[in-house]
Amino acid sequence: MEKKAVIKIDNLVKHFPIRAGVFKRIVGWVKAVDGVSFEVYEGETLGLVGESGCGKTTVGMTLLRLYEPTSGRIIFNDEDTTHYFMNYLKARSYVKRTYIDRFEQLKIDKGAKALDELEGVDRKYYKIFMENGAAGLHKYLLSNLEEKRKQFRQNVQIVFQDPYSSLDPRMRIKNIVAEGVLAHKLVEKSKINDFVGKTLEDVGIISAYMFRFPHEFSGGQRQRIGMARALAMQPKVVIADEAVAALDVSIRSQIINLMEELQDKHRLTYIFISHDLAVVKHISDRVAVMYLGKMVEMASKKELFEDPLHPYTVSLMSAIPIPDPAKKRKKRIILKGDVPSPINPPSGCRFHTRCPVAKPICKEKEPPLVEVKPGHFVACHFPGSLKWKA
Amino acid sequence: MNREPILQVKDLKTYFYTEDGIVKAVDGVSFELYQGETLGIVGESGSGKSVTSLTIMRLLDEKARIEGGEVIFKGKELLKLSEEEMRKIRGNDIAMIFQEPMVALNPVYTIGDQIMEAIILHQKVKESEARKIAIDLLRKVGIPEPEKRVDQYPHQLSGGMRQRAMIAMALSCRPQILIADEPTTALDVTIQAQILELMKELQREYGMALIMITHDMGVIAETADRVAVMYAGKVVEYGTVDEIFKKPKHPYTYALLSSIPRLDVEKQELKSIPGTVPDPLNFPPGCRFHPRCDFAKEECKNIDPELVEVSPGHYTACPFYKVLEGVEVK
Repeated sequence: MEKKAVIKIDNLVKHFPIRAGVFKRIVGWVKAVDGVSFEVYEGETLGLVGESGCGKTTVGMTLLRLYEPTSGRIIFNDEDTTHYFMNYLKARSYVKRTYIDRFEQLKIDKGAKALDELEGVDRKYYKIFMENGAAGLHKYLLSNLEEKRKQFRQNVQIVFQDPYSSLDPRMRIKNIVAEGVLAHKLVEKSKINDFVGKTLEDVGIISAYMFRFPHEFSGGQRQRIGMARALAMQPKVVIADEAVAALDVSIRSQIINLMEELQDKHRLTYIFISHDLAVVKHISDRVAVMYLGKMVEMASKKELFEDPLHPYTVSLMSAIPIPDPAKKRKKRIILKGDVPSPINPPSGCRFHTRCPVAKPICKEKEPPLVEVKPGHFVACHFPGSLKWKA
Repeated sequence: MNREPILQVKDLKTYFYTEDGIVKAVDGVSFELYQGETLGIVGESGSGKSVTSLTIMRLLDEKARIEGGEVIFKGKELLKLSEEEMRKIRGNDIAMIFQEPMVALNPVYTIGDQIMEAIILHQKVKESEARKIAIDLLRKVGIPEPEKRVDQYPHQLSGGMRQRAMIAMALSCRPQILIADEPTTALDVTIQAQILELMKELQREYGMALIMITHDMGVIAETADRVAVMYAGKVVEYGTVDEIFKKPKHPYTYALLSSIPRLDVEKQELKSIPGTVPDPLNFPPGCRFHPRCDFAKEECKNIDPELVEVSPGHYTACPFYKVLEGVEVK
């Protein structure tokens, strides 16, 4: 069966300006995410893993449009959503730039035949363009933006890392869970208590607790409430940003198991952002490894852990202490130095400054992300040249 | 092996007197530390592992009271020493490194000043001499360009470099015991691997005994020779690292090991420990783990189990440890 991509990120870039001086002049850019593309399939868990500063959280926040992307496209459910959160003028210019100008040219060059070489939303929009003209596509993409925004917000939810700061301490649990639901009119006001109660029971919180405040709950319980808040919106996609990182070991496994259970029950798609490779390995179907704003490797979980090809992925795996004293004698790959600054990332391959197998070309030429085996992407000039086995 | 322990902790009790009640953070902790070995103390938040180390160093604030027990360092009872005498030992014979190097380092002094402080205090050398020692130490812990770094402030260093600087500071007086409280928790894994490797090397070179406090079973397996597992202010199991990981004899250790996802083993489902870490103001009666224990019996509510040696060098605080015999760690 062909897997359906729910989310498609196309060459996403997010740069943050660094301002200094009296006039807050822009003196540089933090290149947090610098050209990242991936797809997330319906019902799967994509693990997004990397060290601090690699841009994994920024990917999540930009996807949710809590940050506006610098460039790139975010496609959700076969619709381009990139312009949803722009003001009307910007959105119009985005549509013109991304589709209409390009399609005008295509029409002159190839006419209807161009349809064969386009895929995904491009194909869909070109069809509309051919049938209804530029004005038709314009209308299709730019009408009802308010409604589309709402739908997007409902469908893509997030669970944050810190269960202490992500729940408003002055709100009762009931209102925390119900706020979005009522705003989106998903449930009638008269039935809201039943609904919240059921959602809470779903995540393992007694429904009678709905009138309590966040401080009355432990860290693990708060993370359950965070899940309930996301779940109440009946989303398609949940982004979990380090959702278990702050929890104790014994509580962490509870939440991981809960997330898996809820995924089956509600057919959720997860983007699981974490620095912990072992947790990512447990929960994910596919894994994407990021380093300094770039994606360095992406593959199915089995493939990635059995045959990691990027030296960074290999080093990362080797660096993780294994809870088995019999295996500790094994020599690890110890990377030299720190992660460089994303303000001035190294030339060529960004990992070359720390890579144990770097060659001169790595300094000069940036390796593209290529599919070396079906479904296994890697961005390295010499994939597979570093070996290590636990 | 030389079996005279360098540090002995006996039935240590540290309580905090707060407005809400008495927090029995450490409630009867005993262990021994031998020359050159690494003792891992593992536990979740609130298990009392950090308070144990702060009690040994006598670095507690005024809310805390040491209610009982002994800490014997080379025949000296540390809890009975005057503050003056303790100061001679602290930093000199027993040194400590902390989790957050940014918090533990003083932001308004240079790295060099902070390392030199202990050297000048304990070794009676001139400032120029101390500076030389500080630069050598920085080089030793793998900080590039130590001559330049010595005059830099903590904020000019990365997290890994700060932790290296902290280690340099702790080693400045060649301590016999180094207590490391979650030294790598705030660091990225690739940096963690660097720091653990560095600590192992230095331990070998200096012949130090190390107390490694962490919540990470992986770090324990990697570094420790013997392990004390703590839960709710008590040591629940104590033994060699191989025994603890291969044949855990306490249901908590067993559950903990089964609940961690692993890179090297495929697990279908993680075991989860029901309930939450107990509130230290209000520990459950009897065995403190019983409300979360898979094997709990009626008696567990009433007995306060003692740590008992069940095989040579392997202690457990569960009288029903035999239920775990033959049970594989999943």
